[in-house]
Amino acid sequence: MTSARKLAFISDGAAAGARAIAERLVSHGMQVMLNLGPGQDEEGAKTAFGKDLWESVLWSRGDLSQGASAGRVLSQTIEQFGTVDVLIHNSQRIVATSVEHADCRTYQDSMAVNVKSAFFLTQAFARQPTLEDSRIIYVSSIHAEKPTGSSFVYSVGKGALGMLAREAALDLGRRGASVNVIEMGPVEGDDQRFASEISDLYQYYRYKVPSAVLGTFEDLAHLIWFLSLPESRFINGSTIRLDGGFSLHYMNHKMKLGHDQNA
Amino acid sequence: MSLANKIALVTGAGTGIGQGIALGLAHAGAQVAVNYFVEPERAEETVRQIHEVGGQAFSVQADVSQADQVFDMVGRVTEHFGGIDILVNNAAQQPNLGLLEYDEQTYDRVMNTNCMGYWLTMQAVLPTMRARGKGRVVNISSVHGKRPTDFDVVYAMSKGGVKMLTREAAIELARYHITVNMIEPGAVAVGPKSGNSRPIVPPEARSEHRLRTRSKFPLGRVGRPEDIANVVSFLASDQSEFITGASIRADGGSMLL
Repeated sequence: MTSARKLAFISDGAAAGARAIAERLVSHGMQVMLNLGPGQDEEGAKTAFGKDLWESVLWSRGDLSQGASAGRVLSQTIEQFGTVDVLIHNSQRIVATSVEHADCRTYQDSMAVNVKSAFFLTQAFARQPTLEDSRIIYVSSIHAEKPTGSSFVYSVGKGALGMLAREAALDLGRRGASVNVIEMGPVEGDDQRFASEISDLYQYYRYKVPSAVLGTFEDLAHLIWFLSLPESRFINGSTIRLDGGFSLHYMNHKMKLGHDQNA
Repeated sequence: MSLANKIALVTGAGTGIGQGIALGLAHAGAQVAVNYFVEPERAEETVRQIHEVGGQAFSVQADVSQADQVFDMVGRVTEHFGGIDILVNNAAQQPNLGLLEYDEQTYDRVMNTNCMGYWLTMQAVLPTMRARGKGRVVNISSVHGKRPTDFDVVYAMSKGGVKMLTREAAIELARYHITVNMIEPGAVAVGPKSGNSRPIVPPEARSEHRLRTRSKFPLGRVGRPEDIANVVSFLASDQSEFITGASIRADGGSMLL
C-alpha cells in the first residue's frame, strides 16, 4: 500500500491528534501541510511535534473559523503546490454549555470551528480541476449520534458535519473523490472534556469499552492513513465509528471488572 | 387527541407544512400563535382559517435567526395567551443550492434559521414552560437530516444539526418535564414556498417527476401537510409523555426504497 508524494492538508495543526496523524502520513512518504490558527504558536507546535517531525512538514497560517477565509487558506496551498490530494478536517472546539444558558456568541464560535470551516474548506477543495482519487476525511465524534449532556453545540456541529460528509460524498464522488467521516470515541481525558451533571456516559468510561482500553490518536492516524490510500477507493460516504465498541455500551456494566466493582 | 386549553407557537406557519401544523393543532383545540418572517398576508390566511373553525389564533412576526426578535416574539405570545405549552420549530430556509453555489451569507442564513433558530426559540420558551411545569417541543427536521439531498448541502447539514439539538435538549430538559422530539418528513406536497428557493424540478419536468416520485412511495402518494400535523398533535399531547429525544420519520415509507 502506498500513498507516496501525495499532499495532505490538516486543518488544525495544533489540535490533539495532529502530531500522530502527521507522523503516520509522513512515515509513509506523504507530504503534510499543517494549518495553524491565529492564536497558535509556531514554537509551541514545533515543541509538540519534535524537531525532526516538524522539519519534515509544511505549515500555513490562517483563521479557518472566519467563514470563506477558510477556503482562501486552502486555495493558496493548492495554488502553491498544484493540488491537495487529501483534506483532513480535524478542527474542533468543545465548550461546556447548555441549551438553557448558552449565548449566541458561544454557539456561533463553536459552529464556526466545528462546521463552517469544514464547509468552506470542502468548497475550496472541490474547486480543484481534478479530484480523481482524492480524499476528504472529517474527524468527527461519537457525539454526532450520542448526546454529551455537556456541550450541546458541539453535538449540533458534529451532526451537521456528518451530513456535509454525505452530501460531499455524493457530489464529489462523481468526480472520483471519496469522502468519509470518522466518529472518534473516548480517549484519555474525555471524562473531563465531556464532564456532565446530566449524563454519566463518561463515568468509568474506560470500563465501558469492551476491551477496557481507551482509544489513542495513533488509532485515528492509522485509519486516516488507510482512508488516504488508493485501496480505500470504494469507501465513500461512510461513517466509521472508531470507539472500540464504547457506543455499544448500555446501562452501567463495567467491562473486565468483577461483580463487586459493578455493584 | 385533545389539546384543549393548550397554547402552541408554530414557527414558519404561514405556508406549507407549518400552516398545516397550525391548523392541525387548532383543530385539536389548541390556541395557536402563527409565526411568520416576511409574508404577513400568508400568516393572516392561516389565522383566518383557524378562526373560521372557531379556534383562537394570532400572527406574530419574527426572524428566528435573530435572538432579540425570538425573545420578543415569545414575550408577545406569552402576554397574549398567558404562556406556551407547545413549541413547534418549523421555520426553515431551503435555497436549493449545490456545494459550489453557496456563498457565506447564504450559508449563514440557512444554518442560522434552520438550526440556531430552533435552539434560540427553544431557549426563549423555557421560562414559560418551566413555570407551567411541563412542555412539548417538536422540531420539524427532514429525511435529509440522515440521507443527503443532492440538491442542497447546507439544508441537509442544518437538519443533521437539528437531530443532535433534539437529542441534547431532550436529556437536558427532561428534568423540567419538557419533552423534545423530532419529525422527519419526506416529500410533502405544498404550495409555493416563501423566500427565494430555487425549484428542485424545473416546471417543464414536473409532471414526469410527479409520476416518478409517486412510485417511490410504498403508500402510493407523497405526503400532505396534515400527515405531519397529525404526528405533531400526538407528540404535543399528554399521550406522548414518555417519548423524548425520538425522531419519527413521516415519509410514506419512501426511505425504505
